[in-house]
Amino acid sequence: MLKNLLGMNLNNLLAIAFTSVFTSVIFGQEHIDLKDSVLIQDLDEVIVTATRTVRQLSSVPLPVTLISKEQLRNTGVIRLNEILNEQTGIITVADESGFDGVQIQGIAADYILILINGVPLVGRSAGNFDLSRLTVGNIEQIEIVKGPSSSLYGSEALGGVINIITEHPKDDKIHGDASYRFASFNTHDINVGVDQRIKKFGYSFFANSLYSDGYDLFPEVVGQTVPEFNNHTFNGQVFYDFSKNMKLFASGRYYRQDQDINLLIDEELFEGSSDIKESNMQLRLDHHVGNELALQYELYYTNYMATEFLQSPVTDALFSESDFDQYLLRPEIRATYTIKPKHDLTVGVGFNQERLDRTFFDEEVRFDSEYAFVQYDFYPLKKVNLILGARYDNHSAYRSQFSPKASTHWKISDVVSVKGSVGYGFKAPDFRQLYFDFTNSAVGYTVLGYNVAVDKVLELEAQGQLLDILFDLEELGEPLEAESSIGYNLGASYTKGKVRLNLNLFRNDFQNLIDTRAIARQINGQNVFSYANFDEIYTTGLELDIHYKVSDRLTLSGGYQLLYAKDKQKRVALERGEVFARDPRTLQTVVLDNSDYFGLVNRSRHTANTKIFYNIPEWDVHMNLRVNYRSRYGLFDSNGNDILDTFDTTFVNGYALVNLALNKTFSDTYTLQLGANNLFDYRDADNIPGLAGIQLFTRIGVNF
Amino acid sequence: MKSTFQVLSFFLLSILFFSCENDDDALPSEAIESRTVSNVPAPQTGGPPSEDPVGGPFTKFSFATATVTTSDTEWDIAFRGTTIAINGGVPTGTNDEPVRNGEAAAAIATGTFPSVTDANDLSFIQDSENGFAIPVGSDNGWYNYNPQVNVIAPIPGKVLVIKTHDGKFAKMEILSYYKDAPAQPDGFVNESRFYTFQYVYNPNEGQTAFE
Repeated sequence: MLKNLLGMNLNNLLAIAFTSVFTSVIFGQEHIDLKDSVLIQDLDEVIVTATRTVRQLSSVPLPVTLISKEQLRNTGVIRLNEILNEQTGIITVADESGFDGVQIQGIAADYILILINGVPLVGRSAGNFDLSRLTVGNIEQIEIVKGPSSSLYGSEALGGVINIITEHPKDDKIHGDASYRFASFNTHDINVGVDQRIKKFGYSFFANSLYSDGYDLFPEVVGQTVPEFNNHTFNGQVFYDFSKNMKLFASGRYYRQDQDINLLIDEELFEGSSDIKESNMQLRLDHHVGNELALQYELYYTNYMATEFLQSPVTDALFSESDFDQYLLRPEIRATYTIKPKHDLTVGVGFNQERLDRTFFDEEVRFDSEYAFVQYDFYPLKKVNLILGARYDNHSAYRSQFSPKASTHWKISDVVSVKGSVGYGFKAPDFRQLYFDFTNSAVGYTVLGYNVAVDKVLELEAQGQLLDILFDLEELGEPLEAESSIGYNLGASYTKGKVRLNLNLFRNDFQNLIDTRAIARQINGQNVFSYANFDEIYTTGLELDIHYKVSDRLTLSGGYQLLYAKDKQKRVALERGEVFARDPRTLQTVVLDNSDYFGLVNRSRHTANTKIFYNIPEWDVHMNLRVNYRSRYGLFDSNGNDILDTFDTTFVNGYALVNLALNKTFSDTYTLQLGANNLFDYRDADNIPGLAGIQLFTRIGVNF
Repeated sequence: MKSTFQVLSFFLLSILFFSCENDDDALPSEAIESRTVSNVPAPQTGGPPSEDPVGGPFTKFSFATATVTTSDTEWDIAFRGTTIAINGGVPTGTNDEPVRNGEAAAAIATGTFPSVTDANDLSFIQDSENGFAIPVGSDNGWYNYNPQVNVIAPIPGKVLVIKTHDGKFAKMEILSYYKDAPAQPDGFVNESRFYTFQYVYNPNEGQTAFE
């Protein structure tokens, strides 16, 4: 209670401070500078993720989104998930497991690869990568490539790739920045960074600390919705140029989070902790041989450890304990050969070794895979760019994969260009789907990984635990297939004067999606589940982005995504009249058809954003207002027919979140930022526990 | 007196009928019964989350009398938790199962309740050592369990077709597993193990039609 009061007072205080500065800025602005210079769009923006070579953004034949450092700074976000949520067609959602993950073009988090400086991050919870693990404090640029990119990146890159590029030292002066941000819920975010380049040698160090009291949407229930947490990120980078043609980059990153958790079960309170430790080490040597050949040798290691336990504070009895320890080792060599200007051939070979040891596994499991990829990026015609690529992955635990991709960009004029791509993407069955051995003690069902299912079922059979086995066990001897998709993107862009417009139509056809099914029945009436390939889904729709630079001061932008995400087999069953629902009023059963089918869970038909950026250069003031909307979506099937339909009661109302930030720079060195996330305090505690109420913040920063 | 006359004339008419058409189908039939039964309790002992095996007596039900019964012979189906036993076959091996002494059997048809018009083309099975004729477990038989909301819901479109202990046919659709059949049961609040179901019973020997 006391804490709540304090929190409230703090919010009020911040609100007052904010409002006064804001109003003084608005009303203090008496003269309007009409000097409207020729507006130059950002023509020098480059992206490396799309092709693994440096490419000019406007010429890339794929749907891409770039988030600049400037945008990160000006919006006052602190974590990656916050800024991604403001991009067209990208949202973070909690799935059935309750964990948050990112969704792109309606494709779930399991199928989106997260990279840092081109190398993958591991450590997922039920397939979701928690993007709030990543601070934006030392990010130079975030690059998002939508659509399948397995032709370059292999597994997991079905729905897209998010690549975080960290800051590099720029010159021989020591540059440092430090900032402190204080926000609602007693949240403190501290960043310290320093970098320098002295001739051949460069370095950068960065540290971030985030502490929060968390928040509680259900004060009447013991325990908080999000308990207090504290995490730290450290990143050190070293650069050394042996010569003009031989450059070394080494990076080490460490992340750690500690959180006390508690859980109330049958009026008994259990307490414990949930801790995460993550480390990444990357070593890269860039070697130019003449002007034509560029070689990159890369060695990467990452480890992710999560431990969690809950016990009774009264009896010390352990309620649950889980460990998760995953590591990835990856050497990779890439070569880009420039046959002639704008004709680049890239080849790469690499090796992945992954290990995972966790609770509910019998023993540590290990995957090995070797891979090679090739890409030819060329201009068959003067204004037509074509990129052909393919990758081959040979894997120790599932069938090898061949992932081709073709994309093209045609610059019709300086104003209009069109682009299109077709690509294959896949996701290898993960460790859990292959090796899990879990029995729910409360209900009594069992979930088995595919590779251990046959042995475990025979074991249960021998113990007399089974009523019957529902499948021919020999059938389960065939290896589980990788989940795969074919993605199509067709886009056009229009750039003239102050207006930039991008339109993209997309379709992703997924097959062999892995889901659980009952394979045996136990004498306790519960099922033994295992994983199988059976779902076929599609996501299709369009994305539209409009960017309008009204003047030097004012920029407006808007984005919209229309999305249809459905299960193909369910559509067929509906077509045949085989899907039913019970009318809750009459309790009578009715036949459903496709017009009753809402689509996959957690997908909003419409998502949209609007942003207003306003500069007052003479005062070194920048403000922005961002509105993000998502329409109604369903959480899960509630009426037993395994689809979301018009009779389901688990829909979440559409909502918009408004974020506001105000920046003032003093003598190029000091910055003051005030802002509010979720300005109108939108909450839906029952359906979206991850959505806290209004968060006011203020930040002071210094650059030197 | 009047009723005697009615019975008599009924007999006479029947004889007349019989003599005219020598066809079994034309037997004068008793009316097909359509009923809804509410709140049939189905308690059980043991089972998760306890370590104890599932047990306790089944609640037996007769379609002909439309009531819960304690008779050891005159029952058709019986309820215990989410498990449904029929009076045909042999015990499956769980504790406290009733003795089967009838010829009951069951089939699960897919469709709306009215769309199941005849039991003719269905393949019936009995309770056996391999399990209950109406399979237990979520999504195997008549119900779906949603762990997120802790609700047991009858799978819409599943119609249980039952051959009764004495060889008649009934179709039944379970409407609710919760007391007083709330429209939106709350798995943490509403009392479970109370069956509400509708059924259609054809009391005529050898007839499989439900309309």
